[in-house]
Amino acid sequence: MITLKFILNGKEVSITTEPHIRLLDLLRDKFDLTGTKEGCGVGECGACTVLMNGRAVNSCLALAAQVEGYEIVTIEGISNGDVLSPLQKNFLLHGAVQCGFCTPGMVLSAAALLDQTPNPTEEEIKDAIAGNLCRCTGYKQIVDAIKETAKELQVK
Amino acid sequence: MRNYDSIQHVRGDSLFIDDITPPQGTLYGYVYYSPIAHGKILQLDFSEALKSTGVKGIFSAKDIPGVNQIGGIIQDENLFAEDSVHFVGHPIAFIVADTQLHAHEAAKKIKSIYEKLPAIFDPRQAAAENKLIIPHRKFELGNIDSAWSECEYIIEGSVESGGQEHIYLETQGSIAFPTESGIKIISATQGPTAVQRTAAKILNLPMNRIEVDVQRLGGGFGGKEDQATAWACMAALAAYKLNTPVKLVLPRQEDIRLTGKRHPYSSDYKIGLTKDGKILAYEVTFYQNAGATADLSPAILDRTLFHCTNSYFIPNVRATGLSCKTNLPPFTAFRGFGGPQGMFVIETAIYKAALVMGMEPAEIQRKNLLNEGDELPYGQKTFNCNAIRCFDELDHKFSVKNIFQEIEEFNMKNKLVKKGAAIMPICFGISFTTTFLNQASALVHIYTDGSIRVNTAAVEMGQGVNAKLKRIAARTLSVNESRIKVDTTNTSRISNTSPTAASKGTDLNGFAVIDACNILIERIKKVAAEELGKDDASKISIIDENVFYENEPTILTFIDLVKKAYLKRISLTAQAHHSTPNIFFDLKSNKGNPFAYHIYGSAIIQVTLDCLRGIYEFDSVKVVHDFGESIDQIIDIGQMEGGIVQGLGWMTIEELIWNGEGKLLTDALSTYKIPDIHFAPKEIKIHALENSPNDFGPLRSKAIGEPPFMYGIGAYFALTNAMRAFRPNMKIKYDAPLTPEKILLNLYNK
Repeated sequence: MITLKFILNGKEVSITTEPHIRLLDLLRDKFDLTGTKEGCGVGECGACTVLMNGRAVNSCLALAAQVEGYEIVTIEGISNGDVLSPLQKNFLLHGAVQCGFCTPGMVLSAAALLDQTPNPTEEEIKDAIAGNLCRCTGYKQIVDAIKETAKELQVK
Repeated sequence: MRNYDSIQHVRGDSLFIDDITPPQGTLYGYVYYSPIAHGKILQLDFSEALKSTGVKGIFSAKDIPGVNQIGGIIQDENLFAEDSVHFVGHPIAFIVADTQLHAHEAAKKIKSIYEKLPAIFDPRQAAAENKLIIPHRKFELGNIDSAWSECEYIIEGSVESGGQEHIYLETQGSIAFPTESGIKIISATQGPTAVQRTAAKILNLPMNRIEVDVQRLGGGFGGKEDQATAWACMAALAAYKLNTPVKLVLPRQEDIRLTGKRHPYSSDYKIGLTKDGKILAYEVTFYQNAGATADLSPAILDRTLFHCTNSYFIPNVRATGLSCKTNLPPFTAFRGFGGPQGMFVIETAIYKAALVMGMEPAEIQRKNLLNEGDELPYGQKTFNCNAIRCFDELDHKFSVKNIFQEIEEFNMKNKLVKKGAAIMPICFGISFTTTFLNQASALVHIYTDGSIRVNTAAVEMGQGVNAKLKRIAARTLSVNESRIKVDTTNTSRISNTSPTAASKGTDLNGFAVIDACNILIERIKKVAAEELGKDDASKISIIDENVFYENEPTILTFIDLVKKAYLKRISLTAQAHHSTPNIFFDLKSNKGNPFAYHIYGSAIIQVTLDCLRGIYEFDSVKVVHDFGESIDQIIDIGQMEGGIVQGLGWMTIEELIWNGEGKLLTDALSTYKIPDIHFAPKEIKIHALENSPNDFGPLRSKAIGEPPFMYGIGAYFALTNAMRAFRPNMKIKYDAPLTPEKILLNLYNK
């Protein structure tokens, strides 16, 4: 067993766990953060995307032990209490959500992009979510939602 | 408006099967399956596996208290193999342990010995050996045999279309709980009653002791219509035997290996035309690769025949369908349900005819579009037929002629990069062609605080049915939508549900909701009349929660009426059953009126092809589509765009490859590629056909789920057009998907 200390959705946490488990399992099973989904388990679909020091990573490909000292943000840490983040709000308004299974990962990939590149080009938006598969929407509404969020952030 | 659960979805709060906190002591299952395509089981030894860490039980055919049978249309499918296996992935046993890992590890310790038997993977070979799921099916119109002599052109050919893996983002799963009266199953299924009926049969319990509850699905696309059942039954069996909750969620690779996909088809066609491009005769034979058992194949084969002439009137047709039994996992429902396979063949026939005759394919398409009152090969005559309207509106809205001209100019200037475009008209019949399935019921409760709970048979899988039902209920009752909660789909509240499929979820359940709400309205109007001291309740109306008498406002509101109705001991619960009127189909003559109505539309798809690398990008998809009066435009546009991209994927990059032993090689998302953002068309423009109310849909809407998928078929021909611009005398083999690899083979083959 190993003990890990890291920041999870803004709070310092410490947990003792088996060393072999994935970050995905750590979040889902030990912290009950089930917004992080397992879609493929091999890093192809992006449903398990979380932010690690602000970068979008597939939590199915990261070992739990890798989070020591890092700052992790999951979908549960994106909204401010009951207030949705601008990205979440625009995903709603643009119909970027259908079955909802890819949505948390998609929102986090977009959040990582907008944190680093507040005014992204269409190509940059596409590259940012290229690792997130959606089988329902056809992606157009998702790109529209991200574009609109970027625009709103510019105005502010 | 947005999907019903969208707020929870963006917050990550929505619970899918794997997200539900399991009760203490829940056990986890793993499916042990056949590694070979066909053979006898000579030995099956669980002894080592049973000793493995954490294992609580291993269940196989002999442990089933009831009947080892999960077949729907035909009773030909075991839950667990008995003495023989018929495909790689055929379930043999279910291992249950304290963790998923332990169950998986134990599976590796099962010892089995097989005697391999010859296996068949090619549907034509199966047909030649008379290995058919059902006797062949034949639809006929006119007199094909005498029609050929009137044709100036007769063109023949063969067409292959590949299967398609659903890749619903949430894999198959369910949790079964022992209860005082039986078993409760939470399942990610499109067909709660199919799960209930089958689990009852497996457990030898009456259906009233099985409760199935469905909160939501992380995508279905048909893949969870029939094929969610097995996994639910395995969990139920183990839960029943061990008296403990049991959970089974398939890992992605197992989901891809074990579950059915869209049917691959191999087809032969012969088309006859006059010299000016009028189609007089069409003969087609479909070899459907059904896989090892029937599953939904017979119904899917029928829909291929129903849609074999797509949007066209052809006076003389003979369409034959053979459902061929092979040693692959049973193929199953997938958006379009056999329709796309049939439409791809007629479009190929038209494109090949155009080539031979030196005509534009669009000219042949336009000349043969369905008119009002035309007879379809199954005897139904078109009404409110919008085929021509959509086709012409496409030209009008998007300047189709200019598009083709610009492409020609581009291709003259560019040697190695070529563009292509193709028009794809669609016509899709709405209703289950199995007539009895066209029924649904709704149960609506109004509580004394004015909040409302709506129950139906519809399953939410991302298609937005719950949002639409909420809107239908709110409009019918004329109350604020915020009063309404749509409940989970539950077999204890709604009995004998038809699966949410055939694009029919909103139509069937929406009408049932309207009927139930109208019953409630009548009751509370009577209360209003009494309160106002009036005799004639029919003069009462409720608009936006305010009560009117003879169109004059009164002091009463909806909430007043609800409270007063309760005090007067009047029921605030209503149940209604709806069945689609005036539909029938005779399976002997293959004639009837199977569809409540048809959906029409036309799309133009543009592609740019790199002729050195074989790779391509879709520049645009432009569509004129008949939505009826859309209940919710954002949802309907979402269905359109998602369906189109899925259709493009089927035609181009989604390729299933089996090795010579029937083992699927593309069994992961790293090898089976679905459209990602870079694949999606750069532009999708959708124009809703105006003034097209539909009297046969709730709030005059039209169904939306499946039809858009078929616009994607145009992608194939946009590509072949671009390829021909590079190599004009190319002899192409019509074999979808048209992957970059196949493009290069066609461009450079000698």
